[in-house]
Amino acid sequence: MSFSLNEVDAMAKRATRGVGYAWGLAEEAGKATRWLCAHSLDGVSVLAATLEDDPDPSSCPLIAGTALSDKAADLTDAPLTLIDLSQPMLLLAFAGSAARQLGHPVTLTCNSVVAVTDGSGLALSGTFPIQAKTVDIRLGGQMDTPLQTATRVTPDQNAWATLERFAHRTYAPATEESRRLGAGAGLSDND
Amino acid sequence: MVDRRAPETVMRLSRLGSLHQCRLSFMRQLTRRMAAETWQFTRPVFDIDANGVGHAVYTATAGDHSYSLVAFAHDLPDHMRSDRVIAEAWDATFALFDGIPTKADIARLSQNVPKQEAGRVSDNELSLSRANRSVRLWAHVVENLAKGRQPDPAQIEAVGYLMRTTAVYGSGKFGAADREKIADRAEMQAPFQAEMLSVFLTRWFVRDLVEHMAQIQGGVRSTTLDPALASRLGIGNSTGLGMAPFIVNHPVLFNNWIIAREEAIARVRSLPKAKPEEIAQFVSVLTRANRSIDRWQSEHPVQIAKLKDLNQDRAALADFLATNDLTGPSPWDALVTWAEGTLSEEGQELVASLILEPYPDLVDGLGSCMADSNGDAFVIDGAMSIGQMRDLLMASFGWASDLDWVAPEHCARAWYVSEEKLEPRLGERFDEPIADYEQPLAPARDAALALDALKDWNADTLIAEFLATHPQHRHTIRRAQISQIAPYGEIRDNTISADVMPIDMLRAKLSFFGATHFDPRSDRWVRICMYSGAPYPQDLTPENADLWVYPEGTA
Repeated sequence: MSFSLNEVDAMAKRATRGVGYAWGLAEEAGKATRWLCAHSLDGVSVLAATLEDDPDPSSCPLIAGTALSDKAADLTDAPLTLIDLSQPMLLLAFAGSAARQLGHPVTLTCNSVVAVTDGSGLALSGTFPIQAKTVDIRLGGQMDTPLQTATRVTPDQNAWATLERFAHRTYAPATEESRRLGAGAGLSDND
Repeated sequence: MVDRRAPETVMRLSRLGSLHQCRLSFMRQLTRRMAAETWQFTRPVFDIDANGVGHAVYTATAGDHSYSLVAFAHDLPDHMRSDRVIAEAWDATFALFDGIPTKADIARLSQNVPKQEAGRVSDNELSLSRANRSVRLWAHVVENLAKGRQPDPAQIEAVGYLMRTTAVYGSGKFGAADREKIADRAEMQAPFQAEMLSVFLTRWFVRDLVEHMAQIQGGVRSTTLDPALASRLGIGNSTGLGMAPFIVNHPVLFNNWIIAREEAIARVRSLPKAKPEEIAQFVSVLTRANRSIDRWQSEHPVQIAKLKDLNQDRAALADFLATNDLTGPSPWDALVTWAEGTLSEEGQELVASLILEPYPDLVDGLGSCMADSNGDAFVIDGAMSIGQMRDLLMASFGWASDLDWVAPEHCARAWYVSEEKLEPRLGERFDEPIADYEQPLAPARDAALALDALKDWNADTLIAEFLATHPQHRHTIRRAQISQIAPYGEIRDNTISADVMPIDMLRAKLSFFGATHFDPRSDRWVRICMYSGAPYPQDLTPENADLWVYPEGTA
């Protein structure tokens, strides 16, 4: 099934909140998943795997990614090396955010994978591992052939179902009181 | 130059809940454009049977692009008619198709649009919506037209519409195209233009459908609606809590709406003189606005009291204008300043909207500044100092920082999403098991919590350091940074207090759509009217495309 980027963003945010991340991190997960999907990458699967693995904060790509974006300016002083990271592909969106803030491309290297992004485009060679020993991130690089952008997403069904399952945890169970009072429409609509 | 009114004045809930439509409202932007660009309107399909079941297509063509309302009419039993999100069937359902649909498109839509949230649309669709009849007025109009008579104008006036929409979804919802697909088209650049177009075409469909049903019932005896009566009929809208989270979740967009109107007000107030024709225009529009207020009915005690105030305001304004003919220096500033000291917020905001009417050249260009194209506002600048962050939080929420946020009256409510069709709801935190599901829709409380967490930090430390150990405040830090570019993006009130009135938030949003006749059904539900008085598509001209919202005299 084909989804809009907006739907991917909203589902990713809810799912991330559903497993217990803070709202601000859930918002980042939504935007990062959307960004990956908009560059024709399987952001839905990588987020679903991250949330299922429930990694330690020290190896969580959402936490490492937001820190990378928050401390983007540090890249102008020195490259950054992250160690023992889960689902490193998720970092790409945050590298993009750093590149946009700095106005320069950022290069991310992980095993044999090399990715370069200026924030709006993304060039990538190789396939990201599930687990990375080291990820090197530095300022600079050349985007030779950027990935095609996408406006629609056809996610892996199982990965989407995983996000739905986690997102469901953010919905309050229906109670009669909630149904009756919560939306506040007490009057008949048959007038 | 007169300054814009301060955010701490404008962004109070009671004032937001008193806003009125103005020249910048999205319906009027659309009708002005459609007339100026001589859009073409056609009805290529009207295939509705004797039971009122079938489909129709209405196409609007704007230069390079066509947009088609695909409408499905249903035979809905009364017991299934509900305006709630949790409804599962409606009198009519719609999609706005980007272009002209083929038979295959219509076949696909017929399998999905009638199911609304339970169906799927595609990136060929720009909106998904549904409507329910006003049972009483529908029956009255069909019955009379069938007998060859016109309906009673008083009944038309009392209800105002034959159908009311109960949701108009756009921007990628349920599989529809993302906003980005259309954001660069001139005619779709302003906010909600696809949704407003969908409702404009829906109004045409509803008129056709009621005449069709009368014709089925009355045969050769039946007649069609008198155009003057048809023109009075708008499309209703029945709105629940979904709109309240929207304005909190889109601070840049909401800021852009408010700041455009505030800038327009400041520009007009800054004029040193008013020309006679400008004064005459104001007086004419005021007279017509009063007619609209005369038709504004509500059974809700809060709105009844507000309408009473507004009627007193009208009398006070008439007295003021009897002795102040606006020919003096800075007449609009004098009028607004007088209103601030004399009128209720309903009256003040009516005056603020009305003074814009004589000045399309000063005001209308601001309409193109109301969209949000700033995706980068989301990105947190971790290099900001904690001192600066505290200043930002205090600027928007200083008033909230010493409130006792544990006291039940200050946090009595919690916003949540129900698993029942994901309906947004507001509940009682201390009486219902909902706190674990709370949505982040209390920016004032969250700002107070963040300020408290920041109080022992060195002012020179970077906010990135704080965020690394306090992710629970990340959404609040983001909002505070956004407030630098969106000074009117934050509501300066407590959105979870025991006495919060969500209808204030709904009205703020609906007023920018251009809605009138706000009729709260409870503290969290409101009915409104859209396009009442507007020309139908085929009658649209530059002369009638703008001021239709103000009823002309019948004499």
